[in-house]
Amino acid sequence: MIVCQNLRYRYPAAGDAILQELNFAVAEGEFALLAGASGSGKSTLCRLLNGLIPHLHGGEASGVLTVAGNDPRATPPYRMCGAVGLLLQRPDAQCLATTVARDIAFGPAAQGQDRATIARRVRETAEWLDIVHLLARAPHTLSGGEQQRVALAGVLAMRPRLLVLDEPFAFLDAAGAAQLRGLLRRLHETGVTLMVAEHRIEQIADIADRVLVLDRGRLVADGPPGPILSGDVAAWGLDDGMDGPRPAPPRPAVTAAESIVEWDEVHCERDGHPVLQGVRLKIGSGETVALLGANGAGKSTLLRHGNGLLRAQRGAVRVLGQAIGRRPVAELARTVGLVMQHPARMLFAPTVRAELAAGPRALQRYDPVWCARLSERFGLDGLLDRPPQLLSAGEQRRVAIAAVLAGRPQALLLDEPTAGQDARARAALRALLAECAREGLAIAVATHNLAWARALCPRWAVLCEGRIAADGPPSEVLARPDVLHRARLAAPRAEGA
Amino acid sequence: MEPPNPASLAALLEPGGRFDPRAKLVAYLFGFAWVLLATQLAALALLNAAALAGVALARAGRPWRRALRLLWPTLLMFALIVGFSEGPAAAAGAVMRLSALVAISALFFAATPPEELGESLLASGLSPQAVFLLEGTLRFAPTMALIVREVKEAQESRGIRLDGLYLLRNGVALLAPLLADVMRFADDLAEALEARGFGGPRRTPLGDYRFKWRDWALVAGMAAATAALIAWSPVYATFSTQG
Repeated sequence: MIVCQNLRYRYPAAGDAILQELNFAVAEGEFALLAGASGSGKSTLCRLLNGLIPHLHGGEASGVLTVAGNDPRATPPYRMCGAVGLLLQRPDAQCLATTVARDIAFGPAAQGQDRATIARRVRETAEWLDIVHLLARAPHTLSGGEQQRVALAGVLAMRPRLLVLDEPFAFLDAAGAAQLRGLLRRLHETGVTLMVAEHRIEQIADIADRVLVLDRGRLVADGPPGPILSGDVAAWGLDDGMDGPRPAPPRPAVTAAESIVEWDEVHCERDGHPVLQGVRLKIGSGETVALLGANGAGKSTLLRHGNGLLRAQRGAVRVLGQAIGRRPVAELARTVGLVMQHPARMLFAPTVRAELAAGPRALQRYDPVWCARLSERFGLDGLLDRPPQLLSAGEQRRVAIAAVLAGRPQALLLDEPTAGQDARARAALRALLAECAREGLAIAVATHNLAWARALCPRWAVLCEGRIAADGPPSEVLARPDVLHRARLAAPRAEGA
Repeated sequence: MEPPNPASLAALLEPGGRFDPRAKLVAYLFGFAWVLLATQLAALALLNAAALAGVALARAGRPWRRALRLLWPTLLMFALIVGFSEGPAAAAGAVMRLSALVAISALFFAATPPEELGESLLASGLSPQAVFLLEGTLRFAPTMALIVREVKEAQESRGIRLDGLYLLRNGVALLAPLLADVMRFADDLAEALEARGFGGPRRTPLGDYRFKWRDWALVAGMAAATAALIAWSPVYATFSTQG
């Protein structure tokens, strides 16, 4: 299905080739996991396979590349997409129509299929991916995980022989991930060739036939996943450093007096549907709480209530014991900082140095000594004069967190901080947050990555059907199968985050 | 999960609505022209009232309110500039004109899914590239609005206010990440389109687009009304505050 001989590729205007002398072949029906740290060339290789590179991006590709009998460099992508389906990383940019049904129909319609076939494929694909209930919805109203499934449905509706997925697990909750694993297994059984580039390798290492490991553009390992991944993979950025410091023992329950943020019977309704139904939660100084739940469970909504971006329709949110009422978000930012899922959406300054100073200056509490300390702690000293928008995703995440902490909040709320991060970046982030918590920062982190949450957070709060279904140490929560089932959570797998 | 009923699936895929999207587009353009041609406060007030009645009937109140929330700083700035240079009546006229345009646009876009408009224009022989440019601009407006909201929320979450007049002082904190994200989004979208077969020579339209008698009636009615307004312009101008 794929033949790659001495393949080398360089982006336009780039000095070095990002892919160097790649040699491998993938047989029809094989399931290959493509692993490697951020920047290793995984996404570039995925784009070469269906011709997006070089047709859309230009650059120089040399060597032999044959995919489903075609050279993608000489075949336009609209022809390649009948044989090669490519799911890209960003789900919101892959939903191309105003309803999910029309979005799934986009590919078959572009292929020129007749309307009966298009309708049949929409129905079958929606059933496969369990998104029938979403068919009439507008894609931009869906959660990230739901958008990911819709985007995958759009690709599968074209019935490709080779399916290439770039980070498909990044936005999925545990149940969604399990569902995708099941789907990949079924597709594999039906003879579809699969190539999956993924940071969360534990999700599919056991169902893939082989693993290809890229390191700085070179193929450094190729073979069955078991022997390769049980070896020393840290040098390739595949080890997430879970052997680092274990979490501190759980703190005693927080009293009202010492709580930094408190959600007291918070209710929220959206479009007539209840999202939060009387949520009660407190986080105190030095606590690190993982907020867990399925896609669309209301985790982000809960965090947005915590710093006043959303106001409780019933109930109250208290910061340092005082109800926030109508206090402006920017005023609450003195006590509660929030880092959203996409850090690039807050970075605007010409340099990292200016970015770190922007928030505290607006709050009139700029302290250059504190900013310098943060810069050192977050490993930003070498980046201070660089534009933040040009940094890698992991670096941007560190800048965003440091920029929020520069305003000296007492609580930090983080929304999916590990999405799309490689193992090294996840481990580094975990160590940084643990250090901040030891200094007294209250942290609430919404995440799908249970293994990462277990290593960082001595307390888990599980959000299910708009309520906190469990709140306690991870061992206690994991011992409650009813809660795990209702919240669509699964116990973390041994391989780590 | 229940499998989708074939009839309801067809309803999701095929065009809906009483009028052909092209007839609605023509009516919208006529409405737009009326607003631009009107120079009197009373006429503008009438057009605003008619457009708002249409918004209420089409249950398009939410997109209209959302658009107004996004646009009110621009409206305010526009009113101030016109007010200082031309006087309060001209400022009121300018604001009413813009608000009428927002209302009729909200009405049109609520009643016309971008894909249906695109497919009907393709059926009329427009080039696929031009159609997708139009369709994409309309389709991704809500996504852009979401990105704007996220950028604003991210900045306010660290103390940088972007509400009201703070927008003038801290506008770069909104614009810089917005521009960067929109450019990234455009790149990602182009990739997604190519990966889903956009650019192929044979796109199947999901519906049949033919002008029916009611479409002709709508277009003819709007054209006749416009002609009458222009011919009867002394009456149209009677309410003028600016001559």
